[in-house]
Amino acid sequence: MSDIAEKVKSIIVEKLGVEASEVTTEASFTNDLGADSLDTVELIMEFEKEFNVSIPDDQAENIQTVGQAISYLEENAK
Amino acid sequence: MAYQLLKGKKGIISGALDENSIAWKIAQRAHEEGATFTLTNAPIAMRMGEINKLAEACGAKIIGADATSIEDLENLYDESMEFLGGPVDFVLHSIGMSTNIRKGREYGDLNYDWFMKSLDVSALSFHKMMQVAQKKDAIAQGGSVVALSYIAAQRSFPDYTDMAQAKAMLESIARSYGYHYGKAKGVRVNTVSQSPTKTTAGTGISGFNAFYEYANSMSPLGNATADDCADYVISLFSDLTRKVTMQNLFHDGGFSSVGISADIVELMESKNA
Repeated sequence: MSDIAEKVKSIIVEKLGVEASEVTTEASFTNDLGADSLDTVELIMEFEKEFNVSIPDDQAENIQTVGQAISYLEENAK
Repeated sequence: MAYQLLKGKKGIISGALDENSIAWKIAQRAHEEGATFTLTNAPIAMRMGEINKLAEACGAKIIGADATSIEDLENLYDESMEFLGGPVDFVLHSIGMSTNIRKGREYGDLNYDWFMKSLDVSALSFHKMMQVAQKKDAIAQGGSVVALSYIAAQRSFPDYTDMAQAKAMLESIARSYGYHYGKAKGVRVNTVSQSPTKTTAGTGISGFNAFYEYANSMSPLGNATADDCADYVISLFSDLTRKVTMQNLFHDGGFSSVGISADIVELMESKNA
């Protein structure tokens, strides 16, 4: 697993209070990990801070699973 | 209809997330009534909502602030006074958040860190908003401060969990600070206990639709909407309510004084038939 993937997963575990084993690539933040609308925005802001990127709203809308977050950040993180 | 009730008045409005927010409606009405104001919200809520649209429509400046942070609140008043050209005449506190509710925790299984956070965000922030204002002398003589509450402060609503305590504390702060700010500067402090309202925050409570319908059936005037609430709060910001202070004001279509309504009787009877 890449460093980015590791970090993304640990942010999700911490922010959503879920078990690491639940944070699979396919897991959806809202459907599988119990995130509400506030949590998803909080996650996006945390990713931005941690990876020093700015994620525009229209792209943030497409980040709904753990895997989508990892691939977005792998492509865009500095 | 506009009456220019707030002509020349300046204010700070917190908590406008999107067009369903009560604070959003209050900002629109305040603008119609001739007020100028700044808008504030937590950075995350600003990111989530559409506050820019509202600011543009009302000619308001947006100042991000975490209402639990004294430093952020100091900055909020400094920037507001600079933008508005002096102390403010009204402040709206429309801030509440419970992680326990968001995560569906039962009352007998609350997380205490989250409980403290609920109190800090939803109630203590009200004290902070006034204490910071008073130290900076940022609210003008005879100003008006209003916070939004809910009847779960007085009565038990099982799914409202720790927010019931937060609202009780909020209302108590209005009474205590209302005394002190009234003595010091003639500033009024009240809470408005509003009907359940279909906002982003409100609908996050489980069983919301059921208790919305229940309250509506119990209230002779029906539930007060966010628009109705805006009208009422405008009257509290205006000079027409100069001697109203330290009150928790029910704005609920009569809900709080009803034991049972004919509608509910009918519903129960039809269930038993």
